[in-house]
Amino acid sequence: MELNFTKAFGTLLPSLLGGVGIVIYITLVGFAFALVAALLIAIGRLSKHKLLSRFLGIIIELIRGTPLLVQLFYIYYVVPTLINGVLAALGYEANVQLNASTCGIIGFAVNYGCYMSEVIRSAILAVDSGQREAGLALGFSEQKVLFHFILPPAMRNSIPVFGNYLVMLIKDTSLLAMISVQELLLRTKTYASQTFLTVEAYTILALVYLMLSLPLSQLGGIIERKLKRTQ
Amino acid sequence: MLQIKNLSKCFEDLEVLRDVNVTVSQGEVVVIIGPSGSGKSTFLRCINLLETPTGGEILYLGDNILQLGKKVTDYRKQVGMVFQKFHLFPLMTTIENVMYAPMKLNKVPAKEAKEQALKLLEKVGLSHKADSYPSSLSGGQQQRVAIARALAMKPEILLFDEPTSALDPELVGDVLEVMKQLAGEGMTMIVVTHEMGFAKDVADRVIFMDGGYIVEEGPPDEIFTQPKNERTKAFLSRVL
Repeated sequence: MELNFTKAFGTLLPSLLGGVGIVIYITLVGFAFALVAALLIAIGRLSKHKLLSRFLGIIIELIRGTPLLVQLFYIYYVVPTLINGVLAALGYEANVQLNASTCGIIGFAVNYGCYMSEVIRSAILAVDSGQREAGLALGFSEQKVLFHFILPPAMRNSIPVFGNYLVMLIKDTSLLAMISVQELLLRTKTYASQTFLTVEAYTILALVYLMLSLPLSQLGGIIERKLKRTQ
Repeated sequence: MLQIKNLSKCFEDLEVLRDVNVTVSQGEVVVIIGPSGSGKSTFLRCINLLETPTGGEILYLGDNILQLGKKVTDYRKQVGMVFQKFHLFPLMTTIENVMYAPMKLNKVPAKEAKEQALKLLEKVGLSHKADSYPSSLSGGQQQRVAIARALAMKPEILLFDEPTSALDPELVGDVLEVMKQLAGEGMTMIVVTHEMGFAKDVADRVIFMDGGYIVEEGPPDEIFTQPKNERTKAFLSRVL
């Protein structure tokens, strides 16, 4: 077996570095939306409105009970068809198409939002009930108590877990190859089938993913230790 | 100032307060004593509606606070509370703990709130700990910060829920000293405690509760030296 890493590095790496931008963009934007979604879902789940809470519970079960890849396919292929169908029924001729990266961001926001909402929810429940009572006794309303005294420690305690999810998300962007986003895996796959440098191509791909995820998990570890020290 | 009429509270089937009647006048220090599970803490928590009473009335300056709805927050600003386990905000420094509520609820400017907080910390003897976090303070110090925090809202009444029960014995004195000082300044106080010495020295009136009832009440001399009720006698003979 003859390996030609020099050639692979020279030609594949520049192409992958172009894909890194897309991966980072989708990861950061998707994660930001996921955080917001997670916070809203967690608060909704804990609200006194039984209907809202139960509805969100069902959504979470749906999302956690189906594979992320299937969800991405659903958003990319099914949702536009449904939208067009509804519009056609209303008498509008339409051909809505969703950009693949946008679908990825939506998919990650929903999927990771649901998973992380459970993290936030249990962190909220873990805050000592005395904090709530102390806030109420000072004259804060239930709502203000939540925002001033419950969420800050809950979010802070969730940061290490959020870090893990961020690393998972950056790796999960590889799923987007399946809905034609020009990210790392798709670029590598194309390259490998054109050059037959299969071993080299996928080895380089794995290394690039490692270079992305390792610093992140290191950073997560540092933040976690720092938080523990100041607690 | 505070009139409590026929107050009752049930948790499911369990009746913890039955027909409690208490009137507290301005500047009065009322100390509630009694065995564990007698309803003392529940009674105190009903006064600022941390527990919702199931029956009766609580009149504050003539208004029934059970019908306040959302305005209950305005009432709670006037009734401070000090908890057994302090419940300081762990992510804030000592001074931030004290200045936070006036800033957020009464829109007191930061500078003014800070000055006031510093004065209050001085009053409880902890101005040198202003920038420390609660986790680095002893229990007694934390409790004194909690008192300063409650005072920062300039309450008309202060409720103390076993303020020294979670403290090491040698730390109890400092907290009681601060409470004595407040009583001397004319603060209206309702104190649930097991510190009989404090009750004797500081209380204007002592209430003995047992089984959810007020069994006996009167000035401390009377309750401690010649209790009328058998249960009061039995309780006091065990704790004194």
